[in-house]
Amino acid sequence: MTQCELLAERIPAVMLGRSEWTAEERQHLDACPACRQECEIVGAAARLGKDVAEKLDLDGVVITLHQRLRRSRQVDLLRRRALSIGGLAAAAAVAVALWTGNPNRQNSAAPVAGSLAAGQWAIPLPELQSLQPAELDSLLRTMDEPNVRNAAVQDPDLRDLNSEELERVLDSWEG
Amino acid sequence: MSAPPVAGSTRPDSTTDAALVGAYRTGDERAAAELVQRHAGALGRFLHSLGADPGDLEDLVQETLFRAFRRVDGWRGGASFRSWLLTIGSNLLRDQVRKRKGKLVPIDDRDIAADSDPHAELAALEAQERVREGLARLPKLQREVFLLRAQEGSDYEDIAAALGTTPGAARVHYHHAVKRLKELIG
Repeated sequence: MTQCELLAERIPAVMLGRSEWTAEERQHLDACPACRQECEIVGAAARLGKDVAEKLDLDGVVITLHQRLRRSRQVDLLRRRALSIGGLAAAAAVAVALWTGNPNRQNSAAPVAGSLAAGQWAIPLPELQSLQPAELDSLLRTMDEPNVRNAAVQDPDLRDLNSEELERVLDSWEG
Repeated sequence: MSAPPVAGSTRPDSTTDAALVGAYRTGDERAAAELVQRHAGALGRFLHSLGADPGDLEDLVQETLFRAFRRVDGWRGGASFRSWLLTIGSNLLRDQVRKRKGKLVPIDDRDIAADSDPHAELAALEAQERVREGLARLPKLQREVFLLRAQEGSDYEDIAAALGTTPGAARVHYHHAVKRLKELIG
């Protein structure tokens, strides 16, 4: 390595004030314009922007930085939750689709519905069991009849009908 | 999480950046504040040297720090925290200039301190302006290597780790940058 190359490696540290020239290096600098020029360039670069850096409001930067970081953490948290909920919903949708889309499942659904209907007919009603068929028939008919008195009370518009219209309505109720 | 304002810090200077980053990862916001106090000035200077608009500088510093802390797990300690931070800032500035298709700002558009010797200050600013103009004409990697070495005194290993190159290549880039600046300025 030449003396210039050795010196070149030392220039940044000396220009930043982290080191000092030795007597031998000073002697070389006095005799070498290229190394002096390099010192000027590196020195100017080292000073570049110092005044600007001093003007930065670091306390303000810190406060704003923390606010932004907290907000971004909250957003990340919400996003993760939304993703996990979305994932669960998607998984549920897939499960439902698989369940209802299964041909064996569809075929087996009908008997289940049928057996459920049959089960409903088989529900025991002890208070009806003592009745004779004619009594039971009469009871069922009264249950099917519309409550004409209440309907008339609840629906005053019926009073606006003439006798023919009223008769037609009553006929439709009685079947 | 509701931490009190953390602008001030009482941590000893001996606490390493790695320890502060570790503390921040566990939720200690004061560690981040200390890292900002240590490195934001250098970051501002670096961005300014690369030609950032002074009016945008604080926002650029802010955005760089935000991005750095958002992906602080990406810092593995290969490069120094500062070099890593400056590299993020440099990339951000490059993107901003591309988006705006803007130019870098000449130094003589900037303020001269009122309390200094105007002649000496002007001479210094002119020298800095020539360097800045020269820097603007260097390839990005050469410019970054040169500034990391000239402003931060970083060694080639650190520069290489920050910029994703080898120490030998970083050394070559530095000397090429100096040679080119000599030609441009001299």
